[in-house]
Amino acid sequence: MQAAVAVVAVLFLATAVSDAASAPLSVSEIAPGIFVHNGVQEDASPANDDEIANIGFIIGDDAVAVIDPGGSYREGTELRAAIRARTQLPIRYVIVTHVHPDHIFGAAAFRGDHPDFIGHAKLPGALAQRGAYYLRRLREAIGDKADGSEVVPPTILVSSRIEIDLGERHLVLWAHGPAHTDSDLTIFDQKTSTFWLADLLFVDRIPVIDGSLVGWLDELRKVTAIPAARAVPGHGPVSVPWPQAAAPERRYLEAVARDTRAAIKAGIDIANAYRHVAQSERGHWLLFDDYHPRNVTASYKELEWE
Amino acid sequence: MGMTRGMFGRAVPAFLLILLAFGGTAFATPTEAERAARWSDLRHAIFGERVVEDAGGLVAIEAPDRAEDAAIVPVTIEVSAKLATELRGLYLVIDYNPSPLAAHFVLGPLADARQIETRVRIDDYTYLHAVAETADGRLYATARFIKAAGGCSAPAGKDQALALKRLGKMKLVLGEHQKSDLPQQAKLLISHPNNSGLQVDQLTHYYIPADFMQTLKVTYNDQLVFKLESDIAISEDPTFNFAFHPANRGNAGVLTAEILDSSQRHFTQSWPVPAAPQM
Repeated sequence: MQAAVAVVAVLFLATAVSDAASAPLSVSEIAPGIFVHNGVQEDASPANDDEIANIGFIIGDDAVAVIDPGGSYREGTELRAAIRARTQLPIRYVIVTHVHPDHIFGAAAFRGDHPDFIGHAKLPGALAQRGAYYLRRLREAIGDKADGSEVVPPTILVSSRIEIDLGERHLVLWAHGPAHTDSDLTIFDQKTSTFWLADLLFVDRIPVIDGSLVGWLDELRKVTAIPAARAVPGHGPVSVPWPQAAAPERRYLEAVARDTRAAIKAGIDIANAYRHVAQSERGHWLLFDDYHPRNVTASYKELEWE
Repeated sequence: MGMTRGMFGRAVPAFLLILLAFGGTAFATPTEAERAARWSDLRHAIFGERVVEDAGGLVAIEAPDRAEDAAIVPVTIEVSAKLATELRGLYLVIDYNPSPLAAHFVLGPLADARQIETRVRIDDYTYLHAVAETADGRLYATARFIKAAGGCSAPAGKDQALALKRLGKMKLVLGEHQKSDLPQQAKLLISHPNNSGLQVDQLTHYYIPADFMQTLKVTYNDQLVFKLESDIAISEDPTFNFAFHPANRGNAGVLTAEILDSSQRHFTQSWPVPAAPQM
């Protein structure tokens, strides 16, 4: 009789988790209670299911905060499984660090948890402009594996700074000026002095300029002045020394700014400028040829108004 | 044939609009024969039964073979020096864009038509066609294939707050002072989102309304350099590199740019053009 009850209970449990039951995403505990999945340093493809960004979660005494739900509904369910393998605490917050597809499309996997979705005050506008396009591109990149992915609007907007409490664990969220995008949020965990920079910090993979080059250099000056035991980049290793890990990114952005200004002054046209800009950086970055020309086009457009 | 009002407020044959509706990415990669048929249809829609000659070496399109950013593809139309003096218009057609007629420059008496550059959105691998129209009505066409995709529906705005703040502002960069027998080079930057209206707001499921520059008129001391009729194919923050021959080059003058956009906003800005140094 007891055995039968146990079997029923096991069956019931198996059914209960099956709708969320993707294999748990692999995560590393980089500091007590902070778990990060290491995205691969590639563009979205069927081989990587758009699992290309560093995403994760922070567990407090009372609740869990997700930081970037991932690049697809599927990755979101895998991230949720990774959380549930470690804690049954409620998932109270899903923080979206910016508008890019590899960070946002897992959000729908957390709807059933009824969390607050937190984003930059400019995130709704950015999602409106770009969401449909990103969703179409995701489907082109990973096909049916994009199923279930959708744009989820934020329910809490951050225009400068807010704090959230996970139970004996305060997270500070900062909204930045246009930098990597115009909707960048960073998160500071006071308990472990961990600074989650997301895509304000690229390590090894070439930074993508999709907000403002000048703005990014400004924000970088501000965030590198904040001491932290470690940082979490949006792309790169899951944990890096801070602020040392920002040095290559700053060097690249400064080289792009300097050389693009020179190209504009010399009358080199926008299509060819990248050949003359920051070529000394080529050997330092993954995906350089995929993103550098576009970075220079964006920078040229920005700097020609100076 | 049924006629309907087009983008530019003039009559456009209905079949062009049907082409627009079914164009772009609706089909698999077109064959060369299909591409030729599309150009033939577009040519008839824009120029009717007029003869369009092959430009040979008289007109050329300069553009990257493969665009790094399909929303910002620099395109230069080059015209031979002799033909340039006879022109009254230049057309740029992007065959597989949702709205293929990207630009129509009406050239004024001060224009130097040898070289004019702008930046465009390109939605799919396509031929570009440039057609030069002489004052006596001859048409000369040339083509260039370009690999780019997604530029029309791609979200361009990187900093939306800045775009709003700067809407309608212009910047003119004059080339170095030339001797008086040479044209004056100029680069005109216009801050305008030039929204294609092809993006859907995912949160509301409404289309974000199109908001684009319809006409740009550039004059020097009230004489026409060029007037552009354009639409969504011109990139965000429209930019033009052009040259003109100021009358009375020994005296300073004023260059003026006037814009009318699809939201019926007018923007006007003027800049002094210094006198050319004496020879």
